[in-house]
Amino acid sequence: MMKRRNFNALLAAAATTGLLGPALSACGSSGSSGGGSDTFTIWDYESDDSAMGQAWARAVEIFKEQHPEVTVRIEDQTFEQLQKNAKIVLTGDDVPDIMEYNKGNSTSGQLASQGLIEPLTEQATERGWDAKLAASLQTTARYTEDGLMGDGDWYGVPNYGEYVFVYYNQDMFDAQGLSVPTTLKEFEAVCDAFVAAGQIPLAEAGSEYPMGQLWYQLVLAHADRSFVNAYQLFEDDVDWSADPIKAGTDKLVEWIDKGYVAADSAGLTAEDAGTAFINGSYPMFVSGSWWFGRIVGDMADKNWDQFLFPGTELFPGSSGNLWVVPTNAKNKELAYDFIDITLSDEVQAILGEKGGLPVSGDPSTIEDDKTRTMTENFAQINEQDGLAFYPDWPVAGFYDQIVSAMQSLINGSKTGDEALADLRSAYDEGKADMGIEG
Amino acid sequence: MHARTERPSRRRSRSLAYLPYLIPGAVCFTIIILVPLALNVWYSLNSWKGGMSPMRFIGLDNYAQLLDDAKFWASFRNSLSMIVAMVIIPTLIGLVLAAVLFDYIGKHFGSRTAATLRAMYYLPQILPISVAGIVWNWILNSQTGAVNTILRGLGVTDPPNWLGSTSTALGSVMFVLIWIQIGYPTVIFMSALQRVDPELYEAAELDGAGWFARFRAITVPQIRPETFVIVLTCTIAALKVFAPIYVLTRGGPESSTLVPSYYSYLNFFDKSKVGYGAAISTVLTIVIIVIAGVIQVFQNRSARREEEGR
Repeated sequence: MMKRRNFNALLAAAATTGLLGPALSACGSSGSSGGGSDTFTIWDYESDDSAMGQAWARAVEIFKEQHPEVTVRIEDQTFEQLQKNAKIVLTGDDVPDIMEYNKGNSTSGQLASQGLIEPLTEQATERGWDAKLAASLQTTARYTEDGLMGDGDWYGVPNYGEYVFVYYNQDMFDAQGLSVPTTLKEFEAVCDAFVAAGQIPLAEAGSEYPMGQLWYQLVLAHADRSFVNAYQLFEDDVDWSADPIKAGTDKLVEWIDKGYVAADSAGLTAEDAGTAFINGSYPMFVSGSWWFGRIVGDMADKNWDQFLFPGTELFPGSSGNLWVVPTNAKNKELAYDFIDITLSDEVQAILGEKGGLPVSGDPSTIEDDKTRTMTENFAQINEQDGLAFYPDWPVAGFYDQIVSAMQSLINGSKTGDEALADLRSAYDEGKADMGIEG
Repeated sequence: MHARTERPSRRRSRSLAYLPYLIPGAVCFTIIILVPLALNVWYSLNSWKGGMSPMRFIGLDNYAQLLDDAKFWASFRNSLSMIVAMVIIPTLIGLVLAAVLFDYIGKHFGSRTAATLRAMYYLPQILPISVAGIVWNWILNSQTGAVNTILRGLGVTDPPNWLGSTSTALGSVMFVLIWIQIGYPTVIFMSALQRVDPELYEAAELDGAGWFARFRAITVPQIRPETFVIVLTCTIAALKVFAPIYVLTRGGPESSTLVPSYYSYLNFFDKSKVGYGAAISTVLTIVIIVIAGVIQVFQNRSARREEEGR
């Protein structure tokens, strides 16, 4: 959930109207998805011009060549619409044969535990998907009976990745005579220099995911893999009053106090923050690869680049969204064939070329410099097992809790300790709801 | 009573003759309202994640949990603010606007001008709520919004963070709701005024009553039935308000604009706590039925009084 596309306000509007006629509209608009074995229905929410959209368009072509007797029907959904309605829609008979869905305990995990999507372990081993995906990418593909990721059966297959890094405005750096920081101390020195020049360094948004991701990134800068496994996979207890959470939160509060983040950003959305960075209102934007294509397009006349958040080996990020096969789907075999095609070298190469972070393939063949850097950085993070997922993943409903806590910190209405106490109780409650002893 | 004792059989057959006409409505009501309502109440007695996951009967546990849930109570406190913003203020403003448009603008500038102005007040009602919400989101944006841009132009160095601060978010949402709502009472009141006998006004005018005296003594009492309708429909709308909250603040910042329907939705969809969400909506339904009942009682009493010429 933390990972939302750069969908704009109007998309939210579309989702809202969908929500207001709850479920009914979703059921109604889906039409006759099944329609017998000769129609293969795909639901996805990637825009056609995105890397995924372009790669999957090719995948559909290949699929049609291999299955000339099958009519392929692609239905565009919105991220929010599926996020909110999938649980209702998938209980019916009128379901797609394959569907793109968000990954994590509170999303795909929920569908898996509710028996709404098909286990894919057999297919994954038979067709070699397990060999193609790096270990930290497989985490999001597998879920236990209780819907916890990282273990159990395969329930989904990702074919692209995503991670959080720092976009920066080279012109603004040059104007202050600053260079790319390589340690957290240097990063703070860069921020201090901007503050001294009357410039707020970080584009932020308190009402959506960006601020929570910055918080998590600062926690990760003080953490190791065992913390991630404790926090995300419940392998151990998380101490909310100790490091790394304490250290990361204190650091964030310090950054807010020092003016690294605009004091009036609590009500801003991710779209606001991203647009402000694109406009040149801020020199840096800590956010994900899902902004890459947008920034390439919208900042074509500006001098910008990217660097990995310094001083850490762990980054918010994960596999991309998953292909899942609904339990009630009519053409499951065709769905497996389609997944196979999306993992093929040809489709993966298109993903790489368009900046879509392929899960398998060779980044060095990518021609565009910025795209290659981003893909190579991703490959490097995967190699060092550095994907730490997203902060709101562990328990259902945590996204809103984190947003609320971050707003408290930006507005200064709560101390770091108070905000952590709120998060802790929501986290513990969520764990208890899943039947995990705290 | 008399008629019944005199001709029971005929009376009975006549009274049943309309029954077939009620069947379609009754069937639809059962399918669309009663069955989901009963299911909702049943869900609220269970612990359930939704989908095909198993349901566990837990009796009234969800309701017991609600009693201790600060967010739940906060959401109902915010409902009172929603009633102020969607019922009380718009009805008062709508009453004055309708009277001014009908009485003053209509007479001095022609009915076309009055009709045009009425249409303009009604415009926000026609606009899809999501569109209106997004436009207000732009206008109230703390950094790039029109309001703060103007304020900065006027020399305000630190303009309010309208939707992002706990101290102003609820007020800002209320303001937008008032803007959305005003057209509704205005239009209803204006049509109500056309029903009032102009001779009443003429007589009062001859007696030397000024505009405000006429407004108070004739306009307000004459349009009481419409006022009840507006208060009833708007109160129900205020209690179950969802879309404006969803587009403007999503209940934030820090739950300061949380309302029961949005809180129920959060539990249903984000937390997958279907039973708990159902308990919230059951409570909300009961509150709405009770309040609507109370308003109806007042309306009936007022109507009776009017019939009796009091």
